[in-house]
Amino acid sequence: MYRKKKTKITSLDIILLSVLLIGVAFVVYRVTVGLNYKWNWGAMLQYIVRYDKETHRYVSNLLLQGMFTTLRLSFWGTILAILFGTLMGLFRVSTSLFKRMVGRSYVELIRNMPPLVFIFIFYFFISDQIMPLMGVDDFIRSSSPGVQNFFDIILASPELFSATVSALFSLGIFEGAYITEIVRAGIQSIERGQWEASYGLGLSKYQQMRYVILPQALQRILPPLAGQFISLIKDSAIVSVISVQELSFQGTQIMASTYYTIEIWTFVAALYLIMTLSCSLAVERLEVHMARSR
Amino acid sequence: MQGQPEREYIIEVEKINKTFSGGVHALVDFSTKVRKREVVVVIGPSGSGKSTFLRCLNGLEEIDSGSIVIDGIPLDDNKKHRLEIRKEVGMVFQLFNLFPHLTVFENITLAQRLVRKKKKEEAMEMTVNLLKKVGIPEKANNFPNQLSGGQQQRVAIARALAIMPKVMLFDEATSALDPEMIGEVLEVMKNLAREGMTMVVVTHEMGFAREVSDRVIFMDFGRIVEEGTAEHFFTNPQEERTKLFLSQIL
Repeated sequence: MYRKKKTKITSLDIILLSVLLIGVAFVVYRVTVGLNYKWNWGAMLQYIVRYDKETHRYVSNLLLQGMFTTLRLSFWGTILAILFGTLMGLFRVSTSLFKRMVGRSYVELIRNMPPLVFIFIFYFFISDQIMPLMGVDDFIRSSSPGVQNFFDIILASPELFSATVSALFSLGIFEGAYITEIVRAGIQSIERGQWEASYGLGLSKYQQMRYVILPQALQRILPPLAGQFISLIKDSAIVSVISVQELSFQGTQIMASTYYTIEIWTFVAALYLIMTLSCSLAVERLEVHMARSR
Repeated sequence: MQGQPEREYIIEVEKINKTFSGGVHALVDFSTKVRKREVVVVIGPSGSGKSTFLRCLNGLEEIDSGSIVIDGIPLDDNKKHRLEIRKEVGMVFQLFNLFPHLTVFENITLAQRLVRKKKKEEAMEMTVNLLKKVGIPEKANNFPNQLSGGQQQRVAIARALAIMPKVMLFDEATSALDPEMIGEVLEVMKNLAREGMTMVVVTHEMGFAREVSDRVIFMDFGRIVEEGTAEHFFTNPQEERTKLFLSQIL
């Protein structure tokens, strides 16, 4: 742990802060006086929660619903990304040339393509073919209301199910490429002596990996892994282009119908910050905890 | 194995060569044989190939040519042979290489369960006995980084013994230790030798060689320069290079 440094305020700091404050004040002044824009912050709240007259209860509205969808996407996307990332990470360090080539191609292909392009390719070409083949749509439409309700809570409503599954796979495959590299680096960071000792004890390749190398690698890669999950929350905005109704999508919708551009996106940004910053704080805690348990 | 005549040599090394990718010829037509229950000490300047020789014996390094036979099993490309040999040969490293994420107890139990497929109770019993043998039964539930270097190396010896090897290899097992801890590790090794374990020991500890070794091999540039009893080396070394080396380390 670092020792906390004493904060010392110099005259330079004061000057810089003053300049900054003046700058902010100027922008606020220009925006309120100079910009021809009618502010309506109050209207925003109703997009977070609204009062339902039929049930006489407050219910979540578009923005909050979007945020929940983003959270669901992030959760399942993370799990998929871990699966892809671990498998491909193991491929990357394999002794088999074929596996290494598969792993390498995967990583290079995904990481060198704009996510937007990848999503379009995946959605319009691949899942357009695969989803009907797997019968995802039929499955959800023909299942009982109970099952539909269950999937509505954990993933998506029936009408958006197929698109959401597709979005999930895009996110999982996309972030998986980054996790692959994290896993590979983690495995390669383990000292050679650990391999040699477990080899000498007669453990098989699989056992060496499973009982000696991976547990240690996991400990080391937990912080960068957690950072990647935060990226995933942010990157999930990209699936709005395939009409998955997550936070950014809802932002676009509301903007189109109300034109409260600045207010909407300020709110959307705030909601993203709530999600990512709380994750960051959790990761920070985790790192401190791990550093202590060493 | 019952019914079969006891094999005279447990390690048979025939003209092995090893060249590293950098072009270093670490072993040159190296041949030697080790009897059952024999304790062989290998000495030599750094870079003489003694560690490489040891690492070839359990397949940690691939040899370029020649043959290695351990207890009748040839060390070749056959995976079964290799696994069998890895089970028969225990190795102790200079830097201990304990598994830092496992407790002392788990370090010693792991291979018994996975490789020897022992039942939990059996493995536990053996581990307790091994820890007594190396003199640290009270450290069972500690993690390696909570132990001193000497204690870690003793755990590493116990871990290697846990797979019930027929041969133990020691690769400069005391070189990374603080001077006051060397004694406790050597003591464990001496006891092992007295119990009749076949041992190949790369070390600079001439006191150990004198006390328990049956044979000392002096290596340089990947070849055996001179071999004989420890007494021979102390009183009557023949080769100039041996004399020079001994004068430097004694």
